[in-house]
Amino acid sequence: MRIWSWLSDPGLVIGGAIAGLVLACAVCAPWLAPYHPNDQDLLYILAPPVWAPDGAAEHLLGTDSLGRDTLSRLIFGARTAMEVAVAASFGAMALGAVLAHLAGYFGGRVDWLISRLVEIWLSFPPVVLSMLLIIGLGVGTDKVILAIVLVDWTRFCRVLRSEVQVVRGQDYVSFARLVGFAHMRVIVREIFPATLPMLITLFSLQMGISVVVEAILSFVAMGVPADVPAWGQMIADARINMFDAPWGLALPILAIFVTVLSFNLFGDGLRRVLDPRHRANGHV
Amino acid sequence: MIKALLRIVARRLFAIVPVFAVVTVLVFAALRILPVDPAQMSLPPSATIEQVEAKREEMGLNKPIWQQYALWARRAVAGDLGESAQYRMPTAKVVLERLPATIELAMCALVFAVVVGVAGGILLFTVRGTALESLGMALTSVVMALPDFLLALLFILVFGVMLPLFPVNGRLDPGLEVPSHTGFLLLDSLLTGDVSIVASAISHIALPVMALGLAFSPTIVRVLHSSLINTYQQSYIRQARLRGLSDREILFGQALKNAILPVVILVGTQFGGLFGGTLLVEMIFSFPGLGNLMVKAMQTADLSVIMAIALIYCAVTLLFNSLADAAAYLLNPKLRTA
Repeated sequence: MRIWSWLSDPGLVIGGAIAGLVLACAVCAPWLAPYHPNDQDLLYILAPPVWAPDGAAEHLLGTDSLGRDTLSRLIFGARTAMEVAVAASFGAMALGAVLAHLAGYFGGRVDWLISRLVEIWLSFPPVVLSMLLIIGLGVGTDKVILAIVLVDWTRFCRVLRSEVQVVRGQDYVSFARLVGFAHMRVIVREIFPATLPMLITLFSLQMGISVVVEAILSFVAMGVPADVPAWGQMIADARINMFDAPWGLALPILAIFVTVLSFNLFGDGLRRVLDPRHRANGHV
Repeated sequence: MIKALLRIVARRLFAIVPVFAVVTVLVFAALRILPVDPAQMSLPPSATIEQVEAKREEMGLNKPIWQQYALWARRAVAGDLGESAQYRMPTAKVVLERLPATIELAMCALVFAVVVGVAGGILLFTVRGTALESLGMALTSVVMALPDFLLALLFILVFGVMLPLFPVNGRLDPGLEVPSHTGFLLLDSLLTGDVSIVASAISHIALPVMALGLAFSPTIVRVLHSSLINTYQQSYIRQARLRGLSDREILFGQALKNAILPVVILVGTQFGGLFGGTLLVEMIFSFPGLGNLMVKAMQTADLSVIMAIALIYCAVTLLFNSLADAAAYLLNPKLRTA
């Protein structure tokens, strides 16, 4: 029954399918890509895609200014993007969720402290904060992940905190306390399952945000190392030659757009099917 | 009434002072952890060890970090933000020179976003229940997946490379010059009274404004659309209809002024995102504002400039947050009595 209602949500299905495809590309990159992403083919420099007048079948989506195969770099770029997005979104979710549950459940001083922390964090425009963190941390894939975690945990914390406060007021949670369960057990066994749907939805939306932040940082050369292919870096390289080779700029933009769109559609779809307010029979 | 209004605004503004103070401590600490020696950075590479040491002493770098912060704070309050290592000029001067460009850009983008967002939200609401509504919603999803810096690059690709309609660099055509009265180029060019200069300034700012504004607008469309739907479920709308008011009178005379409240809050809380977007958009369009300067300062580790600009970005974000708070308070009588 439930599965059927999920499949009838077009956003969820389309978004999920494309997101799954991008993830599959990321996992299978070495087998899918026709070339190594850093291999230079000096016979083909700034080659257009195969459908353009001068396109060559050797490089389906053309090459960049160093003769590197665009298709291979896009596929390996997906690997970088997904590696960062999965790890960073998971980290941000874990940090944000733990603090949100503590704040929402215990209230009082704990809530005050965590709420002030969120308030201070939110006074930074996210782009500014992530760049400041990268300056402090230095470049590298792991640093990009850490920066995103440290910036975006507030997105989870803010939303989940009020969700926890609502769940905490439910009778079954009060009963669990009356029966004498420890705080930890109540949070993990009674409250967490009720906030899980929201958590999954936010995770999917955060995947899109993480892809964008990774692209931004790679674009300004403050992201992954130069020898790791990344969409933002491809954009920065292609920008220099955009008058001669506009496809080199358009394709990585398209890759980011499609990926972000798919995770947003999937997240919005999840919200529709998972939101307890849309469901008939209440809580888990 | 005006007194009460001022009191509300003043209270909100006062509340951001402690938050901002903590932000300055955090940014200061974060930048001091860096393995960069600000003294060495601010001297020419040929400086002797003794000169660097003297500079360290002068800048207070040999003191414990909390004393360094106190020193920085005391100087900052007096308007001294240190010296830019990149430009070898007072940081305050370097930053203030570029501030008007960014304010102009961000304000135009905000107006653009609100106009497009509110018009779109009303339009989407008036076609509710039709296929056009679904199409409009799908369109907002598409634009939402295009962050400002991608829109900026796409606009350059479309309007700069494929059909060159707009210039994609700087604020004015090369060769044009505008005497600076206010620092705001659009105003200054109006003051010259020369149509070609005004046109040049507008055509240069058009694409960055559209990139920043359009990225923000789909959120406004969605919030206003759902807020209007909620508002129309209220009984006073039904009563207005019973009184014989037309659809147009109900929408613009009654519903909109209540439905707009979530939009005001949204604009206040999300303005930081738009303002932060100037960082990349200015860099992409070589627009000589704070964002562009910040990216350059980050690449050259020009610490005092990074610090000053980061604090400006935070201050503006906080300011908009609290102004939105105050506006929501004034717009909603329920919040006032509670």
